Amino acid sequence: MKNRLKVLRAERNWTQSDLAKALDVSRQTVNAIETGKFDPSLPLAFKAARVFGLAIEQIFDDEHQQSD
Amino acid sequence: MSQTPTNSLEQRHKRSTKALFIWTSGWLLSLALVAFGPKFLWHFSTSITLVAIAVNLFLGYRMIVVNKQHLEALDELQRQLHMNAMAISLGVSMVFGAVYGLLEPVRLLDSTPSPSNILFVMGLSYLISIVINSRKYQ
Repeated sequence: MKNRLKVLRAERNWTQSDLAKALDVSRQTVNAIETGKFDPSLPLAFKAARVFGLAIEQIFDDEHQQSD
Repeated sequence: MSQTPTNSLEQRHKRSTKALFIWTSGWLLSLALVAFGPKFLWHFSTSITLVAIAVNLFLGYRMIVVNKQHLEALDELQRQLHMNAMAISLGVSMVFGAVYGLLEPVRLLDSTPSPSNILFVMGLSYLISIVINSRKYQ
C-alpha cells in the first residue's frame, strides 16, 4: 500500500520521531510504513489521518484498487 | 497531538519491560530454589518443597500475565515482530523437541534428553527471529 506520510511529514518539518510521538508508535514503525515495508492497521491509519487533518484516502492509496 | 509522558509508548515500554524483568527474575530464582533447595537447604522436606513449587507456579503465572501486558504495551509493528518470533520459536521447539526425544530410543544419544535443552532452543530461536525480523523493517 502506497502512502504520502513522508511527504506530509516533510511539509510540516517533522522528524520521524515527531510523527512517531504523535501516532504513539516507535520511530521504526514510522520508517517501516513510510518505506512501504509495513501496512498500518485501520485504527493507526485513522490516527494518521487525524494527525495530518486529512481524509484517510488522501494519505493511503490502495495500489490494487488502481489496477482494477 | 503528542501523548502525555506517562502514557507515551516509551514510558509504557519501560514500565512493562521493568515488570517483565522483575517477575522473570523472580520465577528463575524460584526455579533454582526448587532445583537446589531440597538438596542443599531443607534436606528433601516434602512440605517445604511443595511450598517452593507453589511459589514457583505463582511467579510463573505472574510472569505470563506480565509478558502478555508487555506485548500489549508495544506498538503494532513491534507486536507483530514478537508474534512472528513466538510462532517461529514454537515451531522450532516442537520440531526439535520431537526429534530430540527420539534420539535416546534410537540409540543416537547415550543420556536421557533434558527438557532444559528444548527451553534453550526455544529462547535462542526466539532471539534469532526477533533480530532477523527487526532488520527486515529497519
